[in-house]
This record gives sequence, structure tokens and C-alpha cells, in this order.
Amino acid sequence: MTTTLPPAPARENDDGTAAPPALALRGVTRVFGAHTALDTVDLEIAAGEVHCVLGENGAGKSTLCNIVFGSLPPTTGEVLLDGERFAPSSPADALARGVAMVHQHFSLVPTLTVQENLLLGRGVRRLRPDRAGLAARLAAIAETLGLQVELDARAGDLSVGARQRVEIVKALLDDPAILLLDEPTAVLGPDEVDSLLATVRRVAAAGTAVVLVTHKLGEVMRVGDRATVLRGGRVAGSGPLAREGGAGTPGAPALTAADLVGLMVGREASSLDPVLAASVGVVPTAGPSHDGGPEAPARSGTPVPAQGPAQVPAPATGDPVLTVRGLTVDDADGARRVDAVDLEIRPGQIVGIAGVEGNGQSELVAALSGALPASAGTVLLDGVDVTHAGPRRRTALGLGVVPEDRHHEAVVTGLSVTTNLLLGRLHRFRRLGLLDRRAMRAAAADLTDRFDVRTASLDAPMSSLSGGNQQKAVLARELSLDPLRCVVAAQPTRGLDLGAVDDVVAHLRTAAARGVGVLVVSSELSELLVLCDRVHVAYRGALRGPVPTDAPDARDRVAHLMTGAPA
Amino acid sequence: MIPTLTDLLVASIALAVPVLVAASGELVGERAGVLTMSVEGMMLTGAFASVVGATSSGSALYGVACGAVAGLLVGVLQAVLSVVLRADQIVTGLAANALALAGTTFGARLLLERGAPVPGFSRVEIPLLADIPVLGPALFRQTGLAYVLIAVVVLLAILTSRRTGWGLAVDAVGEDAASADRSGIPVLQVRFAAVLVVGLLSGLAGTQLALSEVHTFTDNMTAGTGYLAVVAVIAGSWRPVGVAVAAVVFGLAQALQFTLPALGVDVPFALLVMLPYVLALLAVAGFVSHSRPPAGLNTAFVRQGRAA
Repeated sequence: MTTTLPPAPARENDDGTAAPPALALRGVTRVFGAHTALDTVDLEIAAGEVHCVLGENGAGKSTLCNIVFGSLPPTTGEVLLDGERFAPSSPADALARGVAMVHQHFSLVPTLTVQENLLLGRGVRRLRPDRAGLAARLAAIAETLGLQVELDARAGDLSVGARQRVEIVKALLDDPAILLLDEPTAVLGPDEVDSLLATVRRVAAAGTAVVLVTHKLGEVMRVGDRATVLRGGRVAGSGPLAREGGAGTPGAPALTAADLVGLMVGREASSLDPVLAASVGVVPTAGPSHDGGPEAPARSGTPVPAQGPAQVPAPATGDPVLTVRGLTVDDADGARRVDAVDLEIRPGQIVGIAGVEGNGQSELVAALSGALPASAGTVLLDGVDVTHAGPRRRTALGLGVVPEDRHHEAVVTGLSVTTNLLLGRLHRFRRLGLLDRRAMRAAAADLTDRFDVRTASLDAPMSSLSGGNQQKAVLARELSLDPLRCVVAAQPTRGLDLGAVDDVVAHLRTAAARGVGVLVVSSELSELLVLCDRVHVAYRGALRGPVPTDAPDARDRVAHLMTGAPA
Repeated sequence: MIPTLTDLLVASIALAVPVLVAASGELVGERAGVLTMSVEGMMLTGAFASVVGATSSGSALYGVACGAVAGLLVGVLQAVLSVVLRADQIVTGLAANALALAGTTFGARLLLERGAPVPGFSRVEIPLLADIPVLGPALFRQTGLAYVLIAVVVLLAILTSRRTGWGLAVDAVGEDAASADRSGIPVLQVRFAAVLVVGLLSGLAGTQLALSEVHTFTDNMTAGTGYLAVVAVIAGSWRPVGVAVAAVVFGLAQALQFTLPALGVDVPFALLVMLPYVLALLAVAGFVSHSRPPAGLNTAFVRQGRAA
């Protein structure tokens, strides 16, 4: 399906001449080695509009932002600001021309205070920072947008939501003509998303051209005026949105949410597997008819369809394979990261942990895998106390771990695919004190075959594989452990394209069907709701819930818990 | 003459000033994220150039200028290596030290006459203050150069404090270069400038050592003083006052090797020579403070265009 709609109607000046768009990209291409991240992309954004840029992970959204913000030069093509050619060589250039950006992972120096961070963007060449000017500007922003920040707090001590607010205020300080927001809602809870989207509308209403990059459809349909969908680095489609409230231009065909899904994945929305649909933020409707169409997840209380977890009849009997009681982890600074967590997983169960990132999920996984010491509590693996055991012993007892940070914790990128696949069991391939390469290669070939890991050669370095294939290789290694009693998978689908998501989910389900206990930690709530039997919510280090996913209001209950509200 | 507490303090301060001056520069460099191990070489080069300059022109001031420029030049070398070319900061620093040691030793054979008089700075007593018992002579009977350098150190600390735009920029590029870059701060320029400050101050520290204290150049005359400056920054928890205290403590430790034997205390001389370095080891091992170094220390900055 291809939808190509006429470009945005040019605004007219008082004298009747058409004003050039605030931001325009003409044939922008960016190549990284053999990989084309952006392929002849054209884009026009007018002042005062919210233009959503959608696409799966890896579609080129961040690359596009980085090019406009001066972090990355385009390989070919050009960027125009108000019709003038604009070739920033650094973010400083972009800022000077009125282009501001809210980064997905923030641009605040954690050890500086909020005030110091805000001053950074304004005249560090001057000996005396302009504190008075900053205060006046902050007062203006507080008045028009209702954004307040705590000036004396250290940026690193703020909650994620508060940090996001500072980040936005920082971007707005110099009244930018263009505001780029790169996945701004990825780390926010539902309430914070609402207030962010409201701010975005107000900023646009004040005449700024806003580019909102996201892969969540619900947000797009709520705030966007127009949308451009990227797929594999190309513009798959673009046009005004049929937004609630009727922002679509009369006469021009407007894009619906279903159109957008089709453009993003290149398939009809109704044909999507529920997990795939969830990963782009669409809640599929139950029942044979598809006339309900996709809905905005943040608002919807749509029951999760029965074909999710119930598809796999899980033999959830038998003694728990993983029992966690009162597990507490304090970090080196004495801050409590994991707070008295109780958890029990029986064979064949898939248990999810949802929550806004940074609520102790990473530390919990690290403690379960033996990478972080527990301060208190016990961890039983198949009835054996492994609280103080190292990763090696846990692996031997049948614990598979798919770490969150693939590059740093899961694979050795410089070593071959074969070595990576067999890293934990090299001792089994010893012959006369040396490694039996032939046996290793045979074992690796078997694994890559079974898990569909696509690699040019078994001897190729791990770094030559795509993210999805690396993740499949990690799964192959962890799920082929013998014995395998329990798998802990942290953000297993992050950064993967939809095909790979599908594979990863299928492998986890197969493992559960074999009687393995599965714990999935993910920030994608929709994914957890269709994959898991029950979902816990991590909030400030503690686990809340669980919520059974077959409950009719499971999504609302989990979302509610994520905000920290009492259960 | 039996040395008194006053003598010990006089010697301590005299030995502390070069460490303090170099450490103040190193502090700025480390806060900006560049671990400059070549302080030792910068000091040695500064000492050598100042003596060459002073003897050839007959003017101590000219010697100071030569010492400062020489330190600055080693700073340029270090900055190009570690900021522009992103080479390993520690390895290039150590290489620069070896180069400085060899270069100055060779240069001394070529350019310096043994026993030739070196124009230097003599001690200036500040009236009244110098008469304060015990502390007076240590603090207020210094050379003119020492007074000026201490003023420079204080000024530098003020100009690079968090109250100034420069100080914020320095801390930002050292803590989180990516965020600083996204805030529009020219990360590489700030770091380059910071390493130049290290070079300038270290060159002046070497000059102080040569023209105010020793009044000549001898091979490897810094003998580890530059490393002590690097350690003083760690022991001082990357804060100016802490660094100053650490520099004085190291000065005191060095002074003991002269005063204790004179007092007839029977301690092997070698142990006393070791003392500052033992203190340095303890400081680096974290026995003095547990504060955290700048997060970006010893990490080269390259703009990450491609978000993960």
C-alpha cells in the first residue's frame, strides 16, 4: 500500500506570496558504510504545525533528527530553513539558527544543577552567565506553557519526568523556530505523556514548527497535524492526519491510524500478529471483524485478545523454577535500587515486568543474573539458593539471561558468531586441551539453523550481524542451555524490526511451552500484555501487582500502577 | 643550626608552590575530561626553557616568558594528541614526559654552561606580615614570581568556578561531553583550551622551581613533582581548596627529608625521599577521599551521530 498525498498547502503571506516552509528536506540521503539509513527523503514542515515522523526502530527517524540538528551531515541532499540552505556543522550551529532538539536520552549534565544546565546553552563564552535573563525567560515559559522547573536541584537527582520537563524548557529557552522531539515519550508514564503532548500543542500554537518523532501511533493521532512515515530509510507515505476533532483539510484525503500502521509495516493493519501490532502501539480488536480499527493505546481500555497468552496452553504446574523473596539491591552510593521484590515463576509461565525505565528493572535483572550483589533477600533457582552464587553457577543450574544491553553484556562483538554462540560452554569442546573447532562449528551451525540467525559465515565477527540477528544469536545461546529451567529476558525486542520481534516472541513462547519459566522485562506495555500470563509493575524499585493479563481491564490497571498511584 | 618548625614550614611552602601551580592547571584539564600525565614533562621543559632564556638574555623576566611558552608548546602537543587525534591520554602523556626528559637533558649539554650564573628571583619580604611568628616567614618571604603565581592560581580558580560561564563549560565537557555538545558548547575547543591551561601553568611551575628555588637547571630536576601534581588533584577531590591543601601536604612531606636528618632523627633518608610518593599512592588508592572523578575523564569525545 502506498499513499502519497500532495505536499502541505503553503501558507500565504499578507501580500499573497507563498511563504517557504519553516523546515524542508530535499533528497536527504545518509549512508553509514554499506547501510543506507536515509534514502532521498523529502519533507516539509510549516510553522505552527505538529509534524509527526513515524517509523519502526531503525527506519531512520533519529538519523533524520541528527541531520537537522547538526550532529550528522547528510551524505547528499540539502536542508532548508525558511527556504534558505542550511548546513549545520554542529549542534551549536543549529541552535544559533533557531533549531532546538529534545533528545531521547536527554542532554543534561547530571552533576550540574538545573539552573547551571539551562545556563549552559546561553553564553558560556561569557564570564558572567546571564542569570537574570534566564529567570525572565523561565517566568515567560512558566506563564505561557505552564512549565515549571526546580532550579537548584541537581539534574541527576530529578525523576525522569522532571528531567524531561527541564529538557523541554531548555529547548524552548531561545524561542526556537523548529523544535525536534526524538521519542520524547519513551521514558514517560501515561500521565506524563498526556502533559507532554499538551505542551507540544501549545508550543506549536505559538508558531513553532514541531517535529515529533515517535513509533507510537496513539500519540500521533492525538497531537499531529500531518505525518510522514519512514520505512527502511525511505518516505513510505505522508499527509495530513484524520485527527480526532477533525484537523484534516476538507477535500484532501486524511491518513487514519490504520493507514499509518500499513505504511509503517508495509502490510494491512488487520493482518498483523497481535504482538507486532502491540509493538507499534496498536491494540488489535478481538473477534473476527476488523472494523473497529486500531486505537490509541493510552486511552483505550480494549480487552486484550484471547489469542495472546492463552494460545499456548501453559502447564503452569510444578514447583516454582524461580522464587525471589525480599530481594533488595543497594548501589555503591547506598541508594536502594531494588526494594524487597517478591516473585515466583512456575514452569511454563511467562511473567512480565512493566514500568517506566529506571524503576529498578535493570538492577533486578542484574541481581537475578548474578551481576549485582543482593543486599538482602533470597533467590531460589529450582529450589536451590543462588542468592550469592556467581553467574557461572546460575547458568549451570539452568538460568538463561538475555541482557538489556546487547553490545556490552550479551555478546563479544569482535569474536566470531561461533564463539559467541558457544561462549558459555567452551569446555565441552575441549580436545587434548585445545578447542575442537570442527565440533564447535557443527554445534554453531545447528543453533543458527534452529534459531534462524542470518550470518554470512559462522566465522564472521558478531558485529557484522544486524541487531535482530544478534539478538536471535543471544536467544539461541541462552535457550539452548542444558539444563534450562528459567529465562530472564530484559527488553528482548528493543531496537529490532518487526520480523525479528516476531521471532524473538515465538522463541520465548516455545520455551515456555517446553516448561521453562520465562520472565520478560519490557518498557513496551502492549507487548507484555499479549505475551505474558501476568504482569508486574516496577515502581521505584518495588514490584506492584501482579495483574493477570486476561482481566478485561488489565491495560488500565497496569498503566495505573505505573504512575505510582495506590493499587 | 638546629632547624625549627619555622624552617620546616618555609621549606614546605617553597616545595609546595610548584606542585600547587601545576596542580591548579591539571585540575582545569581533568575537570574538562583530559587526564594530562605530561605535567611532569611540561614542568621540566618549562624549567629548562626558563633557565636558557634567563641566561641568554640576562633577564629573569625573559626566562619566565620562555618557561611559560615552552610549557604551552608541550600543552599544544598534548592537546593535539589527546583532544584532536583522540590518542590514549595516559600513554601519550607518559611518552611526552620521556621526550621532555631526553630533550632537556640533551639541550642542557648543548645550551647550558655548567656553573654559569642564572638570573633568578630573590626573596621579597612583605613588611610586618613576614614577622608573624612561625607562619610569617613561610608565607610572606617568597620571591616575586611566587606571589604572582599564587595570585594566578587564585584567579584561575575564580574564573573557572561554577559561577562563571567558563567554569560551567569546563565541567560540562568533562562530565558529559555529549550533552555539552547538544547544548551548543564547542567541546573540542573547550578541552583544547583546558589542556593549554595545563601547559601554561605547568611551564610556570617549572620556571618557579628553576628560577626561584634552585637557580639553575639540572637533569631531571622536577624528579616526579609533576606526578605529585596529578595526584594532588585526585587527593584534593577535584576541588581547588582541596588541591591546595594536598599540594602543601606533599610540600611538607618533601621538606621532611631535609629537616628530619638535620634534627638528628634517625630515619633512613631513602624512606623520607619515598614519603611523598607513599602518600600519593595512598591518596590515589582512595584513602584520602572517596569523591568521584569527572565522568568523562580520560575519554575522547566523538560526536555520536547515530543514536543507538
